[in-house]
Amino acid sequence: MTERNEPLVAVVCAVPILGEALTAALDGLAECKVIPARQPELGGLLKSLQPDAIVVDDEQEAAVAATYARFARTPVINVSLREQRLTRLEDGKWEAPDESDISPETIRNLVAGGIYGRRAN
Amino acid sequence: MDLGPPTNGSLMRRTRVLVADGLPLFRVGVRSLLRRESDFELLEATDVEEATALLLGGYAEIALVDLDLPGGGGHELVARVRGRCRTHLIVWALEPSRESVLESITAGAHGFLQKEISGPGLIRALRGVAAGEAPLSRDMAGLMIAAIHGLEARSKALERAAVLSEREKEVLAFVSRGARNRDIAEALDISEFTVKRHMQNILQKLDVPSRRAAAAFYVSAYREEATA
Repeated sequence: MTERNEPLVAVVCAVPILGEALTAALDGLAECKVIPARQPELGGLLKSLQPDAIVVDDEQEAAVAATYARFARTPVINVSLREQRLTRLEDGKWEAPDESDISPETIRNLVAGGIYGRRAN
Repeated sequence: MDLGPPTNGSLMRRTRVLVADGLPLFRVGVRSLLRRESDFELLEATDVEEATALLLGGYAEIALVDLDLPGGGGHELVARVRGRCRTHLIVWALEPSRESVLESITAGAHGFLQKEISGPGLIRALRGVAAGEAPLSRDMAGLMIAAIHGLEARSKALERAAVLSEREKEVLAFVSRGARNRDIAEALDISEFTVKRHMQNILQKLDVPSRRAAAAFYVSAYREEATA
């Protein structure tokens, strides 16, 4: 984790309401930076923000986030609103976590696990 | 409208918004968004049953209804409460089809929004509804117009299809699904020769040049049955 009071989570979303929901769900755990999807230079933006975790709801942006995350070893959670499931970038590969319902609590748990699991390593 | 006593003690009258959505993320998102606004109060429902009870109880002035609401869908909820409450019913969905927009409006919804709407956009839309406007973004209006044109085209195609006999329509239904004459003959228990004769009549009556054109015509006239 970089030197911040609170971990920073980049929420890259095509559906802005998701950003609202995650900011509320992660309250007290992390600061959220909501980034609208399909921005040019998402990779560069992530590099300058150096988030402690990334949550994304768009396949295309998930691929960009994964490229950054493999390099920076940052946890990424992909929320598929259409398919109503979660995937997590684990050791460079997308995997379905044990709990994959797209509730705010599950996402919060995955983000917390990703951030603090990473810190412990 | 009898909405019961306001739930807060303030003098300001808040607009009560029901968000009926099976996905907690959307309910939490709208809750978080409206919490910052002093002129809205939020109610939540997770399925058609819960939402129906709240709407028929007169608890909300605006309902934001998920198209895929558990328990029958947004159209089912709109159809159930239409005419039985004075709530402004707004259906919302992720990347909706033009048909779903049109179906929602014809079912009785007062507007349609995409779930991809921005937070400020949603607030503006809700304030507009409270002021008597019908929310329909430009994209949605475009989809509606396209859907209406589609309905007109279908209606014309159905008129043309009226010249076909019931047997010819049956044959054409098979053709639209890519069936060969042999398969059709077997399915309808008639000879392959008879199927060919039906096909010739179909092409002549519809004034189309080919089997493929006849199949395309069938899909345009009976889209739902053909694609089901």
